[in-house]
Amino acid sequence: MGHAIIERELISTLRTLRALVLLVTVAIAFSLLVVIRWPSNATVELSGAQAQEVFRLFAYGLLAILVLMIPAFPATSVVREKNKGTLALLLNSPMSPASIYLGKAMGMLGFVLLLLIMSVPAATAAYAMGGISWFRQILPLYGILVLVLVQYTTLALLISSWTNTTDAALRTTYAAVMLAAVVSLGPHFFLQGQPGLLPILADWLRCVSPVPVVMELVGHGDAGTFGLATTETLKRFLLFAGGSSLGFAGITIFRLNAFLLDRPRPQGVVTDERSTAQRWARRFVFLVDPHRRKSGIGLLVNPIMVKEFRTRRFGRIHWLLRLVSVAALASLMLTYAATTGTIDWGVETIGGIMVVLQVALLLVLAPSLAANLISAERESGGWELLMMTPMSAVSILFGKLLSVLLTLLLIMLATLPGYLVMIWIHPPLRWQVWQVLVCLGWMALFAMLLSAAVSSLCRRTAVATTVSYALLGVVCVGTMLAWLGAGTAFGHGIVESVLQINPMAAALTIIEAPGFTTYHLVPANWWWMGGMCAACTLVVLVQTWRLTRPS
Amino acid sequence: MNDQPSAVVVKDLTKVYGQFTALDRLSFELEQGRILGLIGPNGAGKTTAIKILVGLARASGGSASIAGHDCLRQPKRIKRLVGYMPDVFGSYDNMRVWEYLDFFGAAFGIRRSRRRGRIDEVMEMTGSTYMRDRYVESLSHGMKQRIGIARTLLHDPSVLILDEPANGLDPQARIEMRQILLRLAELGKTLIVSSHILPELARICDVVAILNHGKLEAFGPVDGIMRTIFQKRTIEVQLDDEQGVAGAARLVRESIEPDAEVSESPSEAVVRFQTAKPESEMGGLLASLVAAQIPVTQFREIPADLEDAFLSVTQNAKQAAS
Repeated sequence: MGHAIIERELISTLRTLRALVLLVTVAIAFSLLVVIRWPSNATVELSGAQAQEVFRLFAYGLLAILVLMIPAFPATSVVREKNKGTLALLLNSPMSPASIYLGKAMGMLGFVLLLLIMSVPAATAAYAMGGISWFRQILPLYGILVLVLVQYTTLALLISSWTNTTDAALRTTYAAVMLAAVVSLGPHFFLQGQPGLLPILADWLRCVSPVPVVMELVGHGDAGTFGLATTETLKRFLLFAGGSSLGFAGITIFRLNAFLLDRPRPQGVVTDERSTAQRWARRFVFLVDPHRRKSGIGLLVNPIMVKEFRTRRFGRIHWLLRLVSVAALASLMLTYAATTGTIDWGVETIGGIMVVLQVALLLVLAPSLAANLISAERESGGWELLMMTPMSAVSILFGKLLSVLLTLLLIMLATLPGYLVMIWIHPPLRWQVWQVLVCLGWMALFAMLLSAAVSSLCRRTAVATTVSYALLGVVCVGTMLAWLGAGTAFGHGIVESVLQINPMAAALTIIEAPGFTTYHLVPANWWWMGGMCAACTLVVLVQTWRLTRPS
Repeated sequence: MNDQPSAVVVKDLTKVYGQFTALDRLSFELEQGRILGLIGPNGAGKTTAIKILVGLARASGGSASIAGHDCLRQPKRIKRLVGYMPDVFGSYDNMRVWEYLDFFGAAFGIRRSRRRGRIDEVMEMTGSTYMRDRYVESLSHGMKQRIGIARTLLHDPSVLILDEPANGLDPQARIEMRQILLRLAELGKTLIVSSHILPELARICDVVAILNHGKLEAFGPVDGIMRTIFQKRTIEVQLDDEQGVAGAARLVRESIEPDAEVSESPSEAVVRFQTAKPESEMGGLLASLVAAQIPVTQFREIPADLEDAFLSVTQNAKQAAS
């Protein structure tokens, strides 16, 4: 029974264009990496440093691809079946929930293992360069990556069983993966070496991420330890990944029953019909109560913009207020922790961390807001209704983009207090901070326009969301792989050229973050950003105009 | 036909996709305040015709106008004149019904002060006032259809074009939908309704257009189409018992056309036949049956319905094509 689902899941995934593109891209990327760094002279390099560098790039690249691409497949698996009604058919069959779950999970893992297999020739070639051990480096790396795959696949399937739309499943999964892989490293970064319980907890939390283990394996030490001794990172990671995978799988299997489809329809109770005490209590909790009756859309306001805010679950003003408050608090806490900590980082490091966190925030938020702008309308049939209104293509597009831009601006503004503290600590930084903000502004604009352009080209929101995340990941994370290989795998000139398209790298060079002081990326990066934003604007404008024409 | 001006005029409307002709020289006129039922099998060209009329698709040839405005050249004007309800609802998540209607009202440029009253009016008109605070995505199919019609009425269009409004509705909801459409026609709206639930259309439509393979096979009032298609009427003679069935059938064959089809059903004690003879001659037949002491309990014409007409038209077209 389980085999039927495995075959269906695997074959249906392999039939998609994105699967083909992913497999071919991975094969080509890693082959190129080895070909470029393959020794061309007759001298044998006995130290193995070159092979180690190739292996490092290979390991980080593979980890980045898995973290960025893999959640897209299982995240939509259960929710799509739920919405299409086929989950009801499966649950009505003699198959047990465990059998259905295993079929799905194994089908997804089968595809991802295929992806890993595509990288084996490159790993073998790196081994052939000498200086790398199969048993101490390559095989453990694959073992860890397989465990990461199992963990993220089970996590994505669990999220997929909770959500009601494919794009919500994708957004939540990417956010969860980002939290587990990157943000979990943060507390240890600040609290290490301090006495008390919190640093111990932070040390454990760090092991949720696969990054420290992979760093240890490739001989880069441990993430954010600054030479301090680390303890049992691998064991802890194995414990977390194994335990959480079992936990995620167990909960999802428990949820896979008829009750998953048995949801009452919300009756739409409004605050205006509640008692006075309840109304006041809600006003105190929400500040802006989401369930009060709204006044109509004003004459001078773009109705599409209001619609976009209202239809987003987190677009309602009470959620935006919370998001802005969290961003402001995080920004201030980061600066406070850095200035009162035991390690003297200097404002450059603080600035670097803030830039990375802001870019991470933009990377998570911008595609989730903009990748569904047009594709979701086309998918739900709303586009035809918009076409029947007298609104022009430009007006529709303007309203949609404005709704994203205002949200991103609000969040960006909320992170500014941290920079103000930096300027207060070190006043000459004023001009640098200003330039960093320009870079981040470009980043926000580019992320929004790229996602909107992808959205205008895709019929399905899930595809648009995945493609947007992948493209932004390539620009902001993928190019950093060249920086990791600077000096050994790649020369300074190549790294500088590659980093020119990365606004995060440009901001890091301006703030003179450690490792970026030798690069000069501005104003070249601004030109790149301007050009890419213009290209994306053109695509989205032409495509929107085309979509509003009679077919 | 009355002296009302034509609200919708379609002349030789043609739509070709590569080698496939979706609409083949479609022509008809519809007077103001009338309800036109657009019927046809799947792929007949109903939705294509509707999409051209509302400006969502280009025609390959011919012309179409609504209230004197060209559908192909004046799409902006047409958007103001027409209320279109597609077969897909176009739901938005996390929006209440009132917010949903408010958004479309604003998109049509209705001023806020007027919009509030208008939303109340259209909800009242479609019997959906009680759904005001519900979330759109939580509505049942029937409720969504009502809100869909309310949405099309917001900007007070003179012509309403509804694609499959009764699709997926239960009998009670269908009756309510029929009442809503009749109420709109009473308000002077011109309606074009596509549906495959033919009994519903027969009850509300003034005019019916039968489309098949992109061609207009029949057009006119329901009764007129019936008379054209069914030149022979079906008569049923119900007897008290089966013993008289053979005798009755023999008398019927003697009285009507020699080539007419006469069927006997002894188990039902019924004789059925088709004839083109007038009602006056049927009286004579009944008299002769009674005179022959055949125990007739009922002698009645079986009314043809739109489904029969539709099947007859499409079968005739298929035979002609083969």
